[in-house]
Amino acid sequence: MKKGIIIKKGLALGLSAVFVFSMAGCGSSGENSGNGGSGGGDTIRVGIWDNNQLAGLQEIADEWGEENGYNVEFEVLDWSTYWTMLEAGVQGGEMPDVFWMHSDNATKYMGAGVLLDLNDYIENDDAMDLSNYYEGITELYNMDGAQYAIPKDHDTIAVIYNKAIFDKYGVEYPSDDWTWEDYADAAQEISEKGKADGVYGTYCNVANDQDTWYNIVYSYGGEIINDDRTASGLDEQATIDAMKFVADEIVPACPPQDTMASTGGDTMFLSGLIGMECQGSWAVGTFADADNASDYGWALLPYADVNGNGQCEPGERCSIYNGLGWAAYANTKNPDAAYSLISFFCSEEGQNKQSELGVTMSGYIGCSEPFAKAFGDMDISPFVDIEEKGTLVFRPYSKDTSLWMDDNSEILVDAWTNPDNMEADLKQAADNMNQILADE
Amino acid sequence: MKKMTSRQKSEAIWGLAFVAPTIIGLLILNYYPIFETFYQSVCKTGDFGIGNEFIGLKNFVTLIHDKEVFRTLFNSFRYAAVSLPVTIAISLVLAVLLNRKMKGRGIYRTIYFLPMVCAPAAVAMVWKWLFNQNYGLLNHIFGTDINWITDPKIAWISVIIVGVWSGIGNNMILLLGGLQDIPKDYYEAAAIDGSTGIHSFFHITIPLLSPMLFFIIQTGIIGALQLFDLPFMLMDQSSRAWPTVKTITYLFYEYAFEKGDKGYGSTIVVFMVVIIGIITFILQKTEKKWVHYE
Repeated sequence: MKKGIIIKKGLALGLSAVFVFSMAGCGSSGENSGNGGSGGGDTIRVGIWDNNQLAGLQEIADEWGEENGYNVEFEVLDWSTYWTMLEAGVQGGEMPDVFWMHSDNATKYMGAGVLLDLNDYIENDDAMDLSNYYEGITELYNMDGAQYAIPKDHDTIAVIYNKAIFDKYGVEYPSDDWTWEDYADAAQEISEKGKADGVYGTYCNVANDQDTWYNIVYSYGGEIINDDRTASGLDEQATIDAMKFVADEIVPACPPQDTMASTGGDTMFLSGLIGMECQGSWAVGTFADADNASDYGWALLPYADVNGNGQCEPGERCSIYNGLGWAAYANTKNPDAAYSLISFFCSEEGQNKQSELGVTMSGYIGCSEPFAKAFGDMDISPFVDIEEKGTLVFRPYSKDTSLWMDDNSEILVDAWTNPDNMEADLKQAADNMNQILADE
Repeated sequence: MKKMTSRQKSEAIWGLAFVAPTIIGLLILNYYPIFETFYQSVCKTGDFGIGNEFIGLKNFVTLIHDKEVFRTLFNSFRYAAVSLPVTIAISLVLAVLLNRKMKGRGIYRTIYFLPMVCAPAAVAMVWKWLFNQNYGLLNHIFGTDINWITDPKIAWISVIIVGVWSGIGNNMILLLGGLQDIPKDYYEAAAIDGSTGIHSFFHITIPLLSPMLFFIIQTGIIGALQLFDLPFMLMDQSSRAWPTVKTITYLFYEYAFEKGDKGYGSTIVVFMVVIIGIITFILQKTEKKWVHYE
C-alpha cells in the first residue's frame, strides 16, 4: 500500500518535472532563435517546403556557416503547412530568419511589410547584380522599387516518356521537332493499343496547369492573365482554341477524369501505366530515383505550329517558368547574417553548386548547365535546351493567384468530363477570375 | 452576506489556485477565440490580421445569397441524417448481442472498438485505396467497376460508409455501458408476465436506454455537422463528386485558411453556431417526451 503511494507520488513529481522542463525548453529555444547578433555559434533558421532539396541546400548553407560562424538550421514543411506556419508566424512574431517566397503569395507578403527590404544590402554588395537573374523572377519579388527577395532558382518543363511502353506498342519516341498535335496523336495511339493492359498515352488533370496545359495555351498564342494582371485571358479566342485542343485531343488520351481524380499522375507513370507526361524540372529527382529509371527518357516540350509552316517559330514553343526567391524576415534579429546567407545562396558559386547537386536549376542565368548532368546516366538536357530552343513565359500570377487558380480547376472539371462545355466553362472561369482581380 | 472566516478564505484562495490553470486555459483557448470569431465575422479582415475593417452585417448578407453555403450545409445535413440512424441501429444491435454471455465476447468487443483507436486520417487514407475505382480492393473482390468516390451519385454514400464504420465502436461501448445499468429484475418480471425477447427489447431496453441514446444522438448530430477530415482526406478536390460531399466545415476552412478570408470564414462559423444552437434547443425541448430517467 505504502509502496503504491510512493510510486504514485514519484510519478506525479516526475511528470510535473517533465512538464515544467518541456515548457522551459520551449521558452529557451524561442529565445535562441531570436537572440542572435552577438557573434559566433548563432543559429540562422531557414524555412523551406521541399524535402528533396534539403540535403543539397544544407550542404551549401553549411559551407557559408563555417566561413561565417553560424549554424544554419532548416525547417522543412509540406507546401500548405508551410504557408499556414508563415501566416501564423507573422501574427505571432516567430518566423524563420530566411525563407522561400513563391509567386502565389509574394505580393501579399511584400505588401504587409513582413519581408526585409533588401535594397540597401544589395547596393552595398559588390558581388550582387540583379541583372544576372531571370527578369520575370526578379520583377516578381519587387514592389514599388523595393527588392524583397532574390531569385533562388527557375524551372522549365519537359516531356518524360516510358521507353518500355513506346517499344511495346511500336510508337516512335517523342522527338525535338514534335508539335502538340504529334504529341496528342502518339498519346491517343498508345491509349488505343494499351486499352487491354490499362495503359494510357498521357496524363493531364485540371490541376496540371503549370506543367501541362498552361504551356499549350501560351504556345497557341493564348494567355491566362493579361500583361497588367487586371483581366483574365481565359475567354480570349486563342486561349479557347488551345483549350478546345486540350479537351478534344489531349484529355481523351488520358485516363478517365474519375481515375485521375483518385490516382496521381506520378503514381501512375511510375507504375508503368502512362506512356508520357509533362513534368517540371523540380520533379526530376522522383523519376531519377525510381525503380525503372532506366526506362525513362526526356524530350523537349512540343511546339504549336500556329502559322503552319512546319517549323518552330519564336513563341510557338512556350515553357512556363517560375522561380522561388530567398527572402528574409523584416524583424529578424540578425539581418546582416540573413542577407549574407541569401547572397551566398544566390551567388554564382552558390547557384552553380545548387545545379551540380541536382537541387534545382539556377535563378542566376547561365548556371543551370551542371543540372543536366546531376542525375548520372539520366539525360535531362531538354530542361536546359528549352532555354535556347523555346520561349520562357513567366507563370501567370496576380496578388491572390491561388484564389482564381483553385476556382479555375474547380470549374474546368466539368470540361474535362464534357469536352463540349469547354468554351462555356472558360467564359465562366474568366468572369469569376475578373471578379477576383477587380477586388484585389 | 456573512463575512468569510480566514479558513474559508484560505480554502477559497487555494480552490481558485487549483482551478486557475483550467480557467486560464479555457479563457485563452476557448472564450477569447469565440469572441474574436464573432468580431471577425463583422469585419473585412486584412492580411495577417492587420487592418481589420468593420463592415457591419455585409458578410452575413453575402452568406445568405451564397448558394455554396447552402449546398455544403445540405451535404452536412444529409451526412448527419443518414449516418447517425444507421450507426445507432447497428451499434445498438451489436451492443445487445455482446451484452449476453458468449464465447470470445472480449475479442468481439475489442474488434468493434478498434476503428476508434485508429487516427481518422489514417482510416481515410486506407479507405481511399480500398475505394479506388481501377486499382482498389473493393472493386477487385466484388468484380465490379463502381466509381466509389468519384461518381457524384455514389460518393456521399461512400463517405457515410466510412463514417459509420468508424463510429460504431464508440457508440457500441456507450450503449453497452447503458445496457449494463439496466437491472435484470425487469426482464425477469416481464418474462413471468409472458413477454418475449423482442417485446422486452422495445418495452424495457429502449426506454431505459433512452438517456444514453439521447446523449449519443445529440453529440452525434453536432459531430456529424462538424464533419471535415473524412471527405477532405478521402477524395481529391479535382473529383467531379467533390461538390456533393464538400461540407460546410470544409467551406469555412477553405475561406479562412486557403483563401485567407478570415472574415467570411468566421461568418460561416457563426452561422453554424446558430444552426447547431437551434437544433440543440429543439432536441432539449423534445427530451421530456421520450427520454425516461429511472
